Amino acid sequence: MAKLKRSDWYDFTRDTNWTPKYVSEEELFPQQMCGMTDAMDDWNSYDEPYKQTYTDYVKVQREKDAGAYSVRAVLERSKMWDNAPAPWRSVLIQHYGAIPLAEYAACTAEAHMTRFSKAPGMRNMATFGCLDEMRHGQMQAYFGHEHVSKTRQADWGWKAYHTNEWASIASRHFFDDMMTTRSAVETAIGLTFAFETGFTNLQFLALAAEAGDAGDHTFASLISSVQTDEARHAQIGGPLIRHMVEAGETERAQKMLDIGLWRAWKLFGTLTGASMDYMAPVELRKHSFKEFMEEWIVGQFERQIIDVGLQKPWYWEHWMKDIGEWQHSVQIGLWFWRPTVWWDHAAGMGPAERDWLEEKYPGWNDKWGKVWDVIIRNVAAGEIEEKVMPKTLPMVCNMCQIPIASGNPGGEWSVKDYQLEQDGRLYHFCSEQCRWVFEQEPARYQGHLDLNDRFLAGEIQPPTLEGALQYMGLAPGEIGDDAERYEWIKKFTRQEKVA
Amino acid sequence: MSNEQTPEVLKPLRTWSHLAARRRRPSEYDIVTRGFLYNTDHLSGENVPFEQDPDAPMQQWYRKYREGSALKHDDWDAFTDPDELVYRTYNLVQDGQENYVEGLFKQFSDRDHDAGLSEEWMTRLARLYTPARYLFHTLQMGSIYLGSIAPSASVANIFYFQAADMLRWVSRVAYRTAELRLQPTSGDIGERERQVWEKDPMWKGFRELMEKVLVTYDFSEGLVALQLVAKPAVEECLLRALGKVARHNGDALLGLLNDALFVDSERHRRQTRELLDFVSQREGNQAWIDETRAKWLPLADKAIEAWVGGLYDGEDEDIDSIVEVVKKHVEAAYG
Repeated sequence: MAKLKRSDWYDFTRDTNWTPKYVSEEELFPQQMCGMTDAMDDWNSYDEPYKQTYTDYVKVQREKDAGAYSVRAVLERSKMWDNAPAPWRSVLIQHYGAIPLAEYAACTAEAHMTRFSKAPGMRNMATFGCLDEMRHGQMQAYFGHEHVSKTRQADWGWKAYHTNEWASIASRHFFDDMMTTRSAVETAIGLTFAFETGFTNLQFLALAAEAGDAGDHTFASLISSVQTDEARHAQIGGPLIRHMVEAGETERAQKMLDIGLWRAWKLFGTLTGASMDYMAPVELRKHSFKEFMEEWIVGQFERQIIDVGLQKPWYWEHWMKDIGEWQHSVQIGLWFWRPTVWWDHAAGMGPAERDWLEEKYPGWNDKWGKVWDVIIRNVAAGEIEEKVMPKTLPMVCNMCQIPIASGNPGGEWSVKDYQLEQDGRLYHFCSEQCRWVFEQEPARYQGHLDLNDRFLAGEIQPPTLEGALQYMGLAPGEIGDDAERYEWIKKFTRQEKVA
Repeated sequence: MSNEQTPEVLKPLRTWSHLAARRRRPSEYDIVTRGFLYNTDHLSGENVPFEQDPDAPMQQWYRKYREGSALKHDDWDAFTDPDELVYRTYNLVQDGQENYVEGLFKQFSDRDHDAGLSEEWMTRLARLYTPARYLFHTLQMGSIYLGSIAPSASVANIFYFQAADMLRWVSRVAYRTAELRLQPTSGDIGERERQVWEKDPMWKGFRELMEKVLVTYDFSEGLVALQLVAKPAVEECLLRALGKVARHNGDALLGLLNDALFVDSERHRRQTRELLDFVSQREGNQAWIDETRAKWLPLADKAIEAWVGGLYDGEDEDIDSIVEVVKKHVEAAYG
């Protein structure tokens, strides 16, 4: 007799719900951890679109790893590092610091969904999801580790999440909010649907494209391999949302989507946005970040949102504007406050780069270009220490923990601090959306101190930039500098001489 | 000359800074496991795991069930899985194990093994075996929870792998359920498992035990209840005792399948034993473990008695002495 087809027996693996007798349903699935209401029942009908068996999982994953971990791949990566342009190395150092431990933390999120979801199909998918996240944490850490003997900054591949460096605080604040501290329902929407379906597609595909542009094909294939797992376990949220919509819980699902998407945007617009529009060699750049966003978010994710029965988030219009602006504002912040990050941030400036930016983002020269004009003038005059080094900390948002920099500089300067007074404390936000997220559940956020709050509370001593760097765990050898040691300025001075 | 010291410029290292001081060259396991759980650092406040309001509900959950748990250790990250499993090697090992089982299934299916099973044994399988997917699934849920509440990545990972293994067990029962159904003598197989699991007296004990284990949210107590009591009891009954009875009823395949799954159990026991040795280094922990285990054992004993009774239902055997043997195996699971 032949081997059975998966469809002949798969349903038995997810027909595992029972009625508890010796403990109550609420004890077995506490509301805090589960989040499923009585209106949502018939959990056996939860149908995960991507079906995989355990046997296939270990086989396919073993095969995937065999390629990624091959000796040849290791050699290629090592050669790549030595030949890579400095800005691309900075992208790698930033990526390896920001990603692996967050991926590992996602194991907790998947574990919570496995234990506390009432849908058996979801519990099984999340079990694989938990292993996937371990893979992503371990694989990316392992590859990042290969660079530790090249630069001390590579140590942040492990260290970043163990520090109070501001981007680490921002990452923890986001990931803890979306992954580790919510119910199975909220995690499935905020993490798998909003973040993974919406953003890891973007993060990994965009980054893979950028790596390809930079000639780093091994990094491109590494993160494409990660993405194949994401594409599977990201599908946990979709059927759940449909279930919620049918049960009349649309509003709750919509709110969680709106929160998750906005929060993911702020972090990934910062890390990926700036890197895509400024780091890859300009002559090789194929897509702008905005083009990528329009294709993946506007083109594809929007359809998926409607498809599961939800609406575009209320801030959609504002967001569409933001995808052409935020990365440029935050790029200035990241570069100017470069000593406060663990990677050497590249300015990404040069006449050709500016032409590219103007072409992709008409009006760039009149806005962000004007700030760069001043920076370029000061760098060209050799007044780096005096005029283009930060003396204080950036003001950060009480929600996203990222420097407040929304809006446009230049002629229509519109940077605004969105405030909120709650229980006698004044909070500062970068945007209406971050303030709105806070207002949805103040108790979740209000007692948290951001970097500025800690500074004012005297936790950072001495209260100087040096003291702050120490607080952030950044020592000489790790403190970020200009990725090209200001060599890029010659592209401008040479041009002036020719003129 | 200035009195101010120029701070030292940190040099690149050969490995992560937190591993660099060790004399031993770090293994792949060290590099991708140690110190990977950042929320035990409490970076935003004393006893505050997550980067949010210090008293938000999940902070309290972790403060109570992980940070406040009875078993203490100064450095949970120092725990080492004796198999040093990482994701990559887990899949290598388990793909090999699955290939073996696939081979077994093929050989037995080629020889039309199931057609040779008696109708009486089929009826017993519907009661003894196919409902096991519910029980194994409770182990899956319990194992993954322990991973999520574990105090370090090296501890968490052994439970994440174990949870995946339990899904493996569920899947193998599911496969066999579908395969047995193809026989004209299969009776209720694939139809009444939930009813048996919820109503049959022989399953009552395990259901009570596992429901109570599942709501034990405290890491330390959950560890003792699941790893030291419930899981060995399930394994001794559902894998070993059942395998033996199966062999005596012409079902060599179930015996061999259960032996193959028991290879997972042996790894879990190795890892748990190592964890027990690790926590026992600290004074007071061993006594607490013994006490807690003793508290949970009666529930497991009850479960074993009911289940083994059902296993030998209709057979002329001295059930009491078999129950005693099973209990001894459970007690000896950690040597």
